[in-house]
Amino acid sequence: MSLALDLALCALILGVSLAAVAGAGVFRAVIFFITYGLFVAIGWARLGAYDVALAEAAIGAGLTGVLLLTAQGRLRRVQADRTERPGAPLPAALAGGAVTLALAWAWFVLPVPEAPDVAQALPQSGAGNPVTAVLLNFRAWDTLLESIVLLAALLGVWMLARDADWDAPLGPRYHARPSGVLAYFGRVLPPIGLIFGVYLVWAGTETVGGAFQGGTVLAGVVLVAMMAQVLPPPRASKRLLRAALVLGPGVFLLSGLAAAALGGSFLSLSAALAKPAILIIEAALTVSIAVTLALLVIGPAEAPEPAP
Amino acid sequence: MTLWLHLLALGLLATLAGALWRVWRGPSQADRMMAAQLVGTGGVGVLIVLAALQDWALLVVALALALLSALAAVGFVKTQTPDGAGDPEEQSARDGGRYAPAASQKDAAT
Repeated sequence: MSLALDLALCALILGVSLAAVAGAGVFRAVIFFITYGLFVAIGWARLGAYDVALAEAAIGAGLTGVLLLTAQGRLRRVQADRTERPGAPLPAALAGGAVTLALAWAWFVLPVPEAPDVAQALPQSGAGNPVTAVLLNFRAWDTLLESIVLLAALLGVWMLARDADWDAPLGPRYHARPSGVLAYFGRVLPPIGLIFGVYLVWAGTETVGGAFQGGTVLAGVVLVAMMAQVLPPPRASKRLLRAALVLGPGVFLLSGLAAAALGGSFLSLSAALAKPAILIIEAALTVSIAVTLALLVIGPAEAPEPAP
Repeated sequence: MTLWLHLLALGLLATLAGALWRVWRGPSQADRMMAAQLVGTGGVGVLIVLAALQDWALLVVALALALLSALAAVGFVKTQTPDGAGDPEEQSARDGGRYAPAASQKDAAT
């Protein structure tokens, strides 16, 4: 019976991904991509990778949806969404098929790497969730670089602003009817999301959750509040905003250097200090991830559109 | 019990397939968006059934989905206003209720 369930899920994932790339129309492709994220999240849940399922649900079904829909709306407003289909799809399909075949070949041929057992080292790591232990202790270097990559991505988006607009607030000037449904939603959702996001970070050291997932939920909350005109759009020149952006990577780097100064090596956590250190780093990372992701979706600074 | 839960999850997946048909057919953008929201709600249901089947920790994933899948609807509503940043309700109040949002027009791209 569970095989039937898995087969149905696989068929749905394949069907949705085919529909997203094969159908005509940008809007339809965007909607199929949103549902694709959702089905993939269920797929990860089925495979037992709950942390990945959580990240996919929050990013794929939540933030990416807003990002793509906003992009599609903007294309439609400048009437650029009716362009010809780009080139022949055949080479892209062939390339994609070749990559799939190569991955399948690697899956069957390559030996399973002899990884050290995470469960054995877990008690010294300061985290009960093996994913958190790997992310923030055993492979902290990767996580540190990823948090910096996120910051670099935001700087790249900000550079798209025109020079004259640099001091303007970030993103479009969202507005809503003050007593309307959207404004109400913008006031009801944030408190719930705030509690849930903080819970994900706090619980993430022991069970499903983590800084990235919690930060994504908080970013969604910030986005809803901004779109409902409950929060004003920030300016890139604000010091507090910039401090929030570098808080996570900064605390991470400092704790790594402190470990080196205390006699260990860079980014090593001693077993006694590991748990509080991980919690502090995760809390700082969450703030930075939430602000960075929300600002990535909002986009670069732009002067208000002239009234039509 | 496990058999029933599997059947339930399969049934929920089948309803999602129905919603996908609506995403494909449209015809208006609002139809597609509402179908995507239905997939979100159904996905929460599937995850809750999977939580009962596999591990209650999965409830957290269902919660995250329930909280964030509404975000796409907000983004969609924004794009249906002339400047891409407004609120159809605001428009309708200004135009005395005669405002027809772009969502009710046929999706011209298909």
